[in-house]
Amino acid sequence: MAGYVGPRGLLEIDLTARTAQRSELPDAVFADTLGGVGLAVRLIDERVRGPLDPLGPSNPIVFAAGPFASTPVPAANKHALATISPLTGLLNEGLSSSHFSAVLRRCGLAAIVITGEADAWTTIAIDGDRVRFEDAAALAGLSAHETTKALRDRAGDRSLRVCAIGPAGERGVRYASVENDGRQAGRGGTGAVFGAKRLKAIVLRGRGEVQVADRAATAALSATLRERALGPKTAKYRVLGTGANLRVLQRMGQLPTRNFTAATFAGAENVTPERARESSGSYLELRAGCAGCPVQCEHLYVRKDRDKRSAAASEYESVWAFGPNCGVDDLDAVLDAIGRCDEFGLDTISAGSTIAFAMECAEHGLLPRDVFGTPLAFGNGAVLLPAIDAIASRRGLGDLLADGVRAAAARIGSGAERFAMHAKGLELPGYEPRALPTYALGLSTCTRGACHNRAATYDRDLRDPVEDRRDDERARDAILAEDRAVAWDSLVLCKFVRDCFEDFEAEAAALWSAVCGLPLDGEALRASAQRTWERKRAINARLGWVPSDDTLPSRLFAEPIADGPHAGRSVDPARLAALQATYEAQRRTASSPLVALEA
Amino acid sequence: MTVELFGMSRALAGRPTIDLPIDGAIDYAGFLRALAEAVPALVPQVIASSHDALVEPNLILLDGRRAVRDGERFSADDRPCVLFLASGG
Repeated sequence: MAGYVGPRGLLEIDLTARTAQRSELPDAVFADTLGGVGLAVRLIDERVRGPLDPLGPSNPIVFAAGPFASTPVPAANKHALATISPLTGLLNEGLSSSHFSAVLRRCGLAAIVITGEADAWTTIAIDGDRVRFEDAAALAGLSAHETTKALRDRAGDRSLRVCAIGPAGERGVRYASVENDGRQAGRGGTGAVFGAKRLKAIVLRGRGEVQVADRAATAALSATLRERALGPKTAKYRVLGTGANLRVLQRMGQLPTRNFTAATFAGAENVTPERARESSGSYLELRAGCAGCPVQCEHLYVRKDRDKRSAAASEYESVWAFGPNCGVDDLDAVLDAIGRCDEFGLDTISAGSTIAFAMECAEHGLLPRDVFGTPLAFGNGAVLLPAIDAIASRRGLGDLLADGVRAAAARIGSGAERFAMHAKGLELPGYEPRALPTYALGLSTCTRGACHNRAATYDRDLRDPVEDRRDDERARDAILAEDRAVAWDSLVLCKFVRDCFEDFEAEAAALWSAVCGLPLDGEALRASAQRTWERKRAINARLGWVPSDDTLPSRLFAEPIADGPHAGRSVDPARLAALQATYEAQRRTASSPLVALEA
Repeated sequence: MTVELFGMSRALAGRPTIDLPIDGAIDYAGFLRALAEAVPALVPQVIASSHDALVEPNLILLDGRRAVRDGERFSADDRPCVLFLASGG
């Protein structure tokens, strides 16, 4: 083998000094991390050696390309985006995808690290190996989409790839997102870190060729994966999208409703994207997807009598957050709320959950009910847009809600914490932990906070009745799910093709080796993922994380599910503690490749 | 036996439920064969071409909450649901 094949550039940018320094990462870094999240976490680990202010100049923003981006590997034009979250105060590693990810590598880059703080709104323009700092004052207040258009118009180049924040990020909303190519790195408030650095956008122009180590093997393995990705294993994403979860979770009695006070929602059917699809007389369905992906999973809807540019994505989590979780059964109101979040650059899960929290606080007299011109109350779809507008502009009550439910509850006091549905500061996604014990464990231990994509064990919970699994099996499942998610996110492959592998570790390792040219087998891939997980926890520990932070919202312990087939179930704190102890014991006794590597 | 369909199975069948001519209890493989015969469109996207297994990650939950165990027989009273959860990205 002749060493790592593929872009290996590391671009380090200091916004305060307006300097850019380029170097090359050695083979050992790629062998250690694989790329993507593994690489981003390692770069954060090397730079964050103690507590820091997430909105201060020393907080690094790291982009790390997926090692398959801009190659024939399908569903792999993706990159990792990591920083310290202003919402949780802990590591936040997100993903985004499409053309921007591919062009990052065509600029010869494996990663970009941005530190410092500009003294005025700035755009970083990367053109091959040249870097310019451009004034972005004229872009302030624009959405990411408008920013992209303005930058392309200014350059007279439609091929520019742009990653930008919207007004919410500029104003420091702690769950502001970052967008490129219509895709968002949504969770954890990376957009606010951009805003604090006065970084409006990053613009890429790159036309370099991306080499692969073994063309024939890469082509053959990619063709197999592409064929499978066009088959029945991904049909659900192609045909329906994740919005199909709504009907399923409603039927199962596991659809968190009105801020987790119920688990079924009488109006659920009204907000299912399938209903919009079936009533084809009223809605237009549009399809979209990432560059180079055969799945094309995104399903957008808009009423036929409206401008189709206002079509909104009907992802399950987004529809859930503004629909059932706010008690809203008006699909138009839900789609409008999702569209407004994309326009302002807000994470839909945190935005919807924070509004649901505010609705419950208002119901209990802890917040005023009539500040948005229409009642702040469960079921009132008319309040969603004014609430989102207030949050994105940090106006009035919106300023309080812009910091997320944990901080808002602390400021409100009077027991508001019992309505704050978060883990480590990150708002909960739309699954019911009281009915899913392994998922509840994973949600509590997840280094990012309440992220369903880092410990997605709900499927396992559904397949095995609660009484059929022992603690050691559940702990093992959670660890496997966490480590496998790290592997996916380092490679970076879209999780929608996860069922397209027969032996994931072995096949993915062979693919990485064919593309990147370094030896890798399934065991080495697992070890890399485990090292990255250990780094994530080590970073968090340096930032102040302690084991007691691995917990769940008090409501899940104190209030049993009120309705549906799982009525009466809650999270038993003693049972969760026992599961966590087993989990920790298994984490300790597993081989520790990170320690071995550093020794 | 009335079977509730969700997601892909509902889209392929074009209806939310299907009545199967089954009286009494039936096992998993027998159920899938009957379902495949009643709704051929479910093969191969939901039911494997062999007609005796579901395509991952589809599953059958009884009354939407309990997976069928190996060798278990179930009846119309158990309200089988064909569904999947989709997430990630």
